Amino acid sequence: MKLLVELSEKNEDIYKEVDGVIVALKGLAIESDVYYTIKEIENIVSKYPKLEVFVKINKNIFNKDLEILKEALIKLDKLNIKGILFYDIAILQLKKDLKLNVELVWNQTHMVNNYETCNYYYEHGVKYAILGKEITLDEIIEIVKNAKTQTIVEVVGIPSVAFSKRKLLSNYYSDLHKSAKNKIVIEEKITKDHYEVIEDDNGTSFYLDKVVNATGIIRTLYLNETEYILMREKGLEKVFYELVVDTKKYIDNKCEDNTYVDKYKMLGEFTNFFFKKTIYRVKKNEKN
Amino acid sequence: MKKIELLAPAGDLERLKIDLLYGADAVYIGGENYGLRANAPNFTLDEIKEGCLFAHKLKKKVYLTLNIVFHNEDMKDVFSYIEKVVEAGIDAFIVSDPFIISFIKDNFKVEVHLSTQNSTSNYKSVEYFKNEGVDRVVLARELSKIEIKEIIDKTKMDIEVFIHGAMCTCYSGRCSLSNYVTNRDANRGGCAQVCRFAFKTDEEKDFTFATKDLNMAKYIKDLIEIGVSSLKIEGRMRSIYYLATVIGCYREIIDSYYSNDLTDRKLTRLQQILDRVANRATAEHYFMKEADATDQYYSGRVELSNQDYLGLIIGYDKKNKCLILRERNYFEVGDEIEIFTPEHKNYKLVVKNIYDENMNKLLVARHPEEILKIEFCEELPKYSMIRLIKKNENKSR
Repeated sequence: MKLLVELSEKNEDIYKEVDGVIVALKGLAIESDVYYTIKEIENIVSKYPKLEVFVKINKNIFNKDLEILKEALIKLDKLNIKGILFYDIAILQLKKDLKLNVELVWNQTHMVNNYETCNYYYEHGVKYAILGKEITLDEIIEIVKNAKTQTIVEVVGIPSVAFSKRKLLSNYYSDLHKSAKNKIVIEEKITKDHYEVIEDDNGTSFYLDKVVNATGIIRTLYLNETEYILMREKGLEKVFYELVVDTKKYIDNKCEDNTYVDKYKMLGEFTNFFFKKTIYRVKKNEKN
Repeated sequence: MKKIELLAPAGDLERLKIDLLYGADAVYIGGENYGLRANAPNFTLDEIKEGCLFAHKLKKKVYLTLNIVFHNEDMKDVFSYIEKVVEAGIDAFIVSDPFIISFIKDNFKVEVHLSTQNSTSNYKSVEYFKNEGVDRVVLARELSKIEIKEIIDKTKMDIEVFIHGAMCTCYSGRCSLSNYVTNRDANRGGCAQVCRFAFKTDEEKDFTFATKDLNMAKYIKDLIEIGVSSLKIEGRMRSIYYLATVIGCYREIIDSYYSNDLTDRKLTRLQQILDRVANRATAEHYFMKEADATDQYYSGRVELSNQDYLGLIIGYDKKNKCLILRERNYFEVGDEIEIFTPEHKNYKLVVKNIYDENMNKLLVARHPEEILKIEFCEELPKYSMIRLIKKNENKSR
C-alpha cells in the first residue's frame, strides 16, 4: 500500500517521505490551498524521479476552458507523471482525441461509490479511482476487492463538502454592504458543526471544519490490499510532516505497530462516514 | 423544423395525467428506487405501465429517472428493474452513471438521457456521451445562452435545459451538504435542501445561500432559436394546480411562438400568471449573465403560501346545472374567479351561489377537501380547475 499526500503549502521536504503527491494544476483545479504551474510540476518530476506525481484537474470545464485544457494535457502527457485526476468527462474525451498516454484517475468527488462504475472507467482507459468520502468502510472494501482500477482511499483530512459556481461570499457581503471576505467559518444551528467557506475566481467551496481521522482503519485497508491511501494536509499543518513519516513507517512495518494508532488518536475521533451509513428515504412509501 | 418538447415533472399518476392534459409533450417520473426524489410518492411498476399507456394514447412520452449516484448495493437489483420498466413501456431513462448508461444501451432499444446530475457544461463532455450512445444530454444549469448554442452547434446533440422551478445552489452532483448536516444522502435521493438553511457567522446577519427559482418564460423564443430540443420544468413534488398553471403558460408561449403570435402583451399576461403561482421569487440566473447577488435570498427559507387555487372540478350536476368541485382554499360569494381547463379554455365569472353536496346554500367555502357546487352552464373536462382572480376585499373573512 502506498502513501499519497496533498499539501496545503509548497514543501519539498515531504516528497522524500511519501510514495506520491497530488498537485493541483493552476487555472484548471479547485479545492486546493496551493496550485502549481506546469513548469513547477516538471521541476518536481525531474528532481524527484521516484515520486509518483498525480496532477489534479478537477474544475467544471466550460467551452472557453477547452483549448487551455487541451494544451495542458498535451504538455502533461510529455512529463513523466503518474496520472491526471479528472472530474470533467471532457478530459476522457480529449485523451482519446489526442491519443494521450498519460493515465487517468477517476476523481468525481462525491460520485466514486461503486465498483461497477470503477470497472466501466477501467475499460475506458482509467487506471485509478479516488473513492468518495461519503461511503462506509464495508463499501470501500467491497470496491477494493472488485474494482479493476487501483483504488485510492482518503484517510486523513478535512472533507470538501460542496462547490458552487456562484460567488456566495461576495453576494453575502454585498447584501451586508461590507467589503467581501474570501474565507469565513459558518455554524450550522442544530448540529453546531462548523464549515469553512472559501471563494475564489471559480466559485465557492464548502469544507467541513473538522478533521477526519481514519488512521485506525489503515490496517484494515492494508490487509485488504488497498493500493493507495491519501492524506491531505489542510487543517493539519502543525503535525502533518510527523504524521506522514510515522504513517509511512507504519505501512512499511505491515501496519502491526499499535503505538501508531494510539499516538494518532490525538487527531480526534471523527471518522466521517466510514462507520456511519447515510440514509435517503425518510418517509415510508405508503404503497410499500 | 421539429417543434420543441415541453417536459414536465410528475410525482404520481394523477400529476402525470394532469401534466399531459395541460400540454406537456412528455413527463419525467421516478420509480420506487434509483431516483433523486426518494421521498416523493413515486411510481410502482403497475403505475408506470398505466402512465405509459395513458401517454402513448395521446402520442406523448414518459421518461424515468434512474439518476442516483449508485452504491454497490444499489447495483444488485437495478438490472432486472430496468428490464421490467422497459417492458412497462418507458420511452427513455434519465441516467447519470455511465456504467448504467452502457448497460441500458447494450441490452435495450430505449433512449437514454444524461441527467443534469453530471453537470455537463462543455461540448467535449457532450461528445463523449454521444459516442457512448446517449440520445440526449440535460445540460448543467450554470450555462449561458452562448455556451448552450455552441454546444448544440458543435455536437448536433439533442439538448434539454431547465426552464422553470427550483435551482441547486451548487453544481448538481457536487454537493454533499445534506450528507454532512443531516446524514441524508443528497446524491441518492435524500437531499434535505441544506442550501436553504441559515447559518451563523461572526456578522450581524446569518449566512444564507438559497437561490431564487428559475423562470425562463421570456427566453423561450431564444431557446427555440438556438436549437434546444426539450424544455424542462422542475418539481415532481409540486401541487397539481402549480403544474397545470405552469405547463399551461409554457404551452401557450411555445405554441404562440410557432404560430407567430407571441406578442409582448401575451407574454406579460402569462408571466403574471407564473408569478402568482410561484411560492418563491424567480430569476434567470446564468442565461444572460453570470449569476450574481440578485439571484439569491438573504433571509433563509422564504416560501409563500399561494391561496389562489380554489378547487378541482370533479364532475357536473346536470339537473341543477352546477359544477361539482373539491375545495382547496377559502372563497366566498362575490369573489371573482377563473375556471381553466386542460383544453386551455378560460372562463371568468363572479361566484353568485355556493352549494354543498345536497344543494344547501353556503355563503363561504371554508373547508378544504369539502365537495361543493357552483352554478355553471356547461359541463367541463375532468381536471379543470378554479383560481381566484380577486378577493371581495370589502367583506371580512
